Amino acid sequence: MNWQGELNKYLASAYKNWITSKRNIFTVFELFFWPMISLLSIGLLTRFLKVDASMVSFLLVGAIALTILQVAQIDVAYVLLFDMWSKSIKNTFISPVRSYHLVFGAALFGIVRGSVVFGILAGVSHYLFGFDFQEGGLVPVLIFLGGVFAMAAVIGIAVCISILTFGQKADVAAWSLSGLILLVSGIYYPVEVLPPLLQAAARLLPLTYFLEYYRSIFIPGQHHLATGVFLAAFYLLLGLLLLEYAIERARKTGILLRLSE
Amino acid sequence: MGAAGHGRQAKDRDRMGHESVTQKAVVARGISKKYRSFLGKPATVLSGIDLDVESGEIFGLLGPNGSGKTTLISIFSTLIYPESGSLSILGLDGRRERGEIRKVINISTAKPNFPWSLTVAENLRHYGMLYGLYGRGLSQVVDDQIAAFELGDYRDMRFENLSTGLKQRLSIAKAMINHPRLLFLDEPTTGLDPDMSKKTRDLIQRIHREDNISVVLSTHYMPEAEMLCDRIAFLRKGRIVALDTPRNLKRQLALGERLTVTYQGPADIAALQRMPGVLGVKAAAGRVEIVLDRGDDGAGDGGALGRGNGRADGLDGIIKLFSQARILDLTIKEPDLEDVFIELAR
Repeated sequence: MNWQGELNKYLASAYKNWITSKRNIFTVFELFFWPMISLLSIGLLTRFLKVDASMVSFLLVGAIALTILQVAQIDVAYVLLFDMWSKSIKNTFISPVRSYHLVFGAALFGIVRGSVVFGILAGVSHYLFGFDFQEGGLVPVLIFLGGVFAMAAVIGIAVCISILTFGQKADVAAWSLSGLILLVSGIYYPVEVLPPLLQAAARLLPLTYFLEYYRSIFIPGQHHLATGVFLAAFYLLLGLLLLEYAIERARKTGILLRLSE
Repeated sequence: MGAAGHGRQAKDRDRMGHESVTQKAVVARGISKKYRSFLGKPATVLSGIDLDVESGEIFGLLGPNGSGKTTLISIFSTLIYPESGSLSILGLDGRRERGEIRKVINISTAKPNFPWSLTVAENLRHYGMLYGLYGRGLSQVVDDQIAAFELGDYRDMRFENLSTGLKQRLSIAKAMINHPRLLFLDEPTTGLDPDMSKKTRDLIQRIHREDNISVVLSTHYMPEAEMLCDRIAFLRKGRIVALDTPRNLKRQLALGERLTVTYQGPADIAALQRMPGVLGVKAAAGRVEIVLDRGDDGAGDGGALGRGNGRADGLDGIIKLFSQARILDLTIKEPDLEDVFIELAR
């Protein structure tokens, strides 16, 4: 098969997610309503607490990161969630696609949606709260976004694995995992305030390092970006391998058939 | 022999010629499958299935609910894997060449489901992309399938708004998107009204005839299997309990239409037993049950009553044997799956 055919196998998931999203009224909530509620809540809280500009940046970076993480991860998870909800998962896995086609295609759409949300939130936070997301230039922004999107892909893959392992009820994982990330990776506070066990867990999450890196633009401090990049690449690779294994296991257990009935 | 009978024979000749240069569509040996629950005992769904499907054949899998038809089709299509046994699809190894197999097969499932909010055209485009189609070729295939399956009026209708019949048609159109060499149809007429069922069967025959592809279909419906299939395997409790052509199965099992005549007066029962197309006669006082071979599409080929004028002549001959008697009641019952299984269970 030539490269165009191979490319279309990736784009198939992005195409399905795009069509489904544009016809879903809840997309408006996902892209605008909840992100704005989150940003405005945190922004107004900083005013109430009369924190300085660097702390405003710290909190708004967390709010923006969490929002685009949630948007992008759900897009990756949607690649199987939509199939599971419509009971059409059988048709996907009868075709000659591999796990990476599905994940990267859906992640591509998640990156587009996440970038749109980032643009909106960055603009609003600049206008209302004086937060300049480009203070360190464009490269740190791109690195930060790259890290958030990689983490989103890993969470989305984890949701897909849980669907293929536990079946219909596993979609709760889609809504829960980003909450756990919120708690552990220092979205609204430095990880140093966490209990030792959770601090250790935070050090295993690439998002922790990408947040530290981006925040170091606004509040000078140490960061370990290379560790974050390594962990993100490692989890992505591990996630894809585990997803491939989960698909094969689902074919052996017959859960793929039950998910279509 | 009628025209349709000639058609079938011609198809056989073509197929036989084809077989000499092509692989069998399916070769299965010792296929077994169990489903395991978390705590409960594993349930055996298929046991030791041995099966060959010839290239160019329409092969039927018949059986009641839970007999393992869908599981077997799912294994053949590599959607799920068997516990044990070997499988070859179109000459490709069912264990080592699954990716290659998926490129040359496709499936239309019972109770077809697709992403709800995608339209007919979008669904076809999406699945075309999953098969690696692109550019104008993809658009052309989508347009071709929409035209071939008469979905033009519903092209922009979302899947969730389609009727059951249209969903089934879309499902078969999707199954043809990659021009498969082997097509699996899992209960293609379940839930359809008689008119739509007939259209679907015509569609299957047309696909098979025009594209010369092998078809494995499962059905509950005996006349459907008879009409479409070259050979049939009966599944019961995960095992094949009979496998042959519809005609031979009916002969072996002495199954056919059951004509029951209740009468008063003399009737030549012995002559009835000698009549062509009569598979069996069960007589009691004033009542006789006659098992008739309706045969294929021809008019009484080789002893069958056939259809149309041939069938009418055969029935006329039977009724004439009761000319000295007074017929009080007369019923005709088509053989159904239940009859087959009752016979197979004896």
